[in-house]
Amino acid sequence: MQVFKLCLKIIKDNIPTLMIYVVVFLGVSILATSSMSNESKEMASFTPTKTDIAFISDETGPLVDGLKEELSKVANFVEIERDTEALQDALYFRRVTYALYIPNGFTERFMGGEDVKIQKTTIPESYSSAYVDISVEKYFDLARLYLTNVENIAEEELVSKVLKDLSVTTNVELYDTRANKADTSYANFYFNYLSYSMLGVLVMGMSALMVVFSDKDIKRRNACSPISTSRINMQFILANLTFAMVTWFIMVGFCIMFNFKNSLTPATLYFVLNSFIFMICGTSLSYLIGTAVTNQEALSAVCNVVTLGPSFISGVFVPQELISQSVLRIASFTPSYWYVKANNEIAGLTSFGFEQLESVFSSILIQLGFAVAMFAVALVVAKRKRYA
Amino acid sequence: MVIRVKNLVKRYGNLVALDHLSLDVKEGEIFGLLGPNGSGKTTAINCILSLLKFDKGDIEVFNKPMTPESYDTKRDIGIVMQNVAVYKELTVYENIDYFCGLYVPDKVKRKQLVDEAIQFVGLEDYVKFQPKKLSGGLLRRLNIACGIAHKPKLIILDEPTVAVDPQSRNKILEGILELNRQGATIVYTSHYMEEVEQICSRILIIDKGKAIASGTKEELKNMITIGEKITLQTYGLTPEQISAAGNLPNVLSAEYNGSNLVIKSTKGKNNLESVLDFAKQEGIQFGTIYSELPTLNDVFLEITGKELRD
Ligand SMILES: Nc1ncnc2c1ncn2[C@@H]1O[C@H](COP(=O)(O)OP(=O)(O)O)[C@@H](O)[C@H]1O
Ligand SMILES: [Mg+2]
Repeated sequence: MQVFKLCLKIIKDNIPTLMIYVVVFLGVSILATSSMSNESKEMASFTPTKTDIAFISDETGPLVDGLKEELSKVANFVEIERDTEALQDALYFRRVTYALYIPNGFTERFMGGEDVKIQKTTIPESYSSAYVDISVEKYFDLARLYLTNVENIAEEELVSKVLKDLSVTTNVELYDTRANKADTSYANFYFNYLSYSMLGVLVMGMSALMVVFSDKDIKRRNACSPISTSRINMQFILANLTFAMVTWFIMVGFCIMFNFKNSLTPATLYFVLNSFIFMICGTSLSYLIGTAVTNQEALSAVCNVVTLGPSFISGVFVPQELISQSVLRIASFTPSYWYVKANNEIAGLTSFGFEQLESVFSSILIQLGFAVAMFAVALVVAKRKRYA
Repeated sequence: MVIRVKNLVKRYGNLVALDHLSLDVKEGEIFGLLGPNGSGKTTAINCILSLLKFDKGDIEVFNKPMTPESYDTKRDIGIVMQNVAVYKELTVYENIDYFCGLYVPDKVKRKQLVDEAIQFVGLEDYVKFQPKKLSGGLLRRLNIACGIAHKPKLIILDEPTVAVDPQSRNKILEGILELNRQGATIVYTSHYMEEVEQICSRILIIDKGKAIASGTKEELKNMITIGEKITLQTYGLTPEQISAAGNLPNVLSAEYNGSNLVIKSTKGKNNLESVLDFAKQEGIQFGTIYSELPTLNDVFLEITGKELRD
């Protein structure tokens, strides 16, 4: 295990340089956490507010009073003079968002089974007026239902039945889908960003090894020894893998440490699994670069391209939704794309059955495919270079 | 036979680096491969070690064909490359331990071997040094220690004394003789004929990838017509006197450069005497006169028509 031990020693000598990457990475992710926790506070503090409406009626009676009672759940009534101009002004200055007018004889015609509509004026594109609309519609729909199905129903009875039903059915709670599950946005960000920084660290560690082992004289000298080339390569790969695992363990460990309160979820498990596979992919890639590129200057250029390039086009720095389809298509030829895609999908999941995870698993399998392919190419290249 | 090379041909593009080179190395000898820079010594060594693909020829080491996969054979070979191959990340001790460890997995045994090697090359005071802190001579000694620590049966040293101070050089040459006394077969390449003459029991002279002569140093010197070289330090010789000197018995040539008359003659008993008689007869005043036996340089010069050392 001479080669293995030597590799670990070389990496140990390079820890200070590698630490720069890790520290910068952790710094950025801590900054990101603090900004994200503010965001989620805002989200939690959102409460629906009652909207101001004008309720104008030419008549009274159980049906109209019932409507008013029902609407009071979603709206405040504002007294407005009964002329068109005053109404327009009120709407224009947003004193009310909705004006509702019930003409004389409305109740009679409604009870007679006619399809009458109340008149309304709203300001466009207002969420709150939509609530009012829904309430009004529900009220009359239900009333019409009783009217057609219960023969000779009295107006008072009808209204009381409708209000009773609405008090049950309208009591639908709006679940925030996020409220029930841990906040994955930080983990999502952290793990996406990990693809850049982990790849950076892996490739750097590998280059440090390559600088030593691609030396022609050293290579020849090792080739004179009774240790076979494949065993030397194997020790080399093993050292790379050990280094990669330690790096991965530290980086993932930090995430769980920082974000512990949100980490006890199945999503974390899949984030970790995904990043582990990506780490294997990264090891494979760095081994390939190390064997294929022997020129020292070219090596550092290639390292930058290989770590930064995919991260940019795969949505590590910019969300995938904001990247054009054609760029994403190119990105899909890099493992980073599939890694980030899987992370985003994991972050969006609320349940973790096989069906929901299918797409995540296929992304992970694709990454494994990349790892195997790159490793195979690296072996071929290494074999070809034996007699260099 | 420890090494047997037959009709080895190696080309680099159009350049024929080795041209049907054959050589045998017998057990227990110090075999010298002598040739000027670029004559193909390193190429030959690299082919023997299966580090290079060659175009033609057969190579056997310890009576087995040598291939890149001959790991058992490699275990018995110690190699000291022309270019120092050590890890600058490791100290002197760690380097020797690393290379020894490629051959000797056992830790306890290895520690002893490494300590012996350090003592052997005299690097006791530098065990914790990194290679970049070592002088050229010490670095060469480290390179040697890395190659021989595992006590191989065959040791190949490719120009181990290039760019080395005289003190380190002598230490290295003595060391090689000692390793040979301990039973190792040695292959030693150099372009310094004095070194080869000093330590090698058998010598192969190569030039432009071709073997041009081989044998013990005495055998090599017997091959050529010059048997003795007499130098007379004197001034103002006439052309007649120079040509008369050239016509003395046994004399092959007489050359004069204004201060030294160099007379080369075949082997004979009375060569110096006849030159002295000639000087007395002609009334030539001379400062010093001395006689030398031919060197390997003369051998090389007579066969190739050029000096070995350039
Ligand atoms: N890798 C190579 N490519 C092309 N020519 C080479 C290479 N290595 C050596 N040569 C040439 O082969 C000849 C023999 O070189 P070498 O074996 O190094 O000589 P020596 O060791 O005797 O000094 C030289 O002319 C050298 O220029
Ligand atoms: Mg050489």
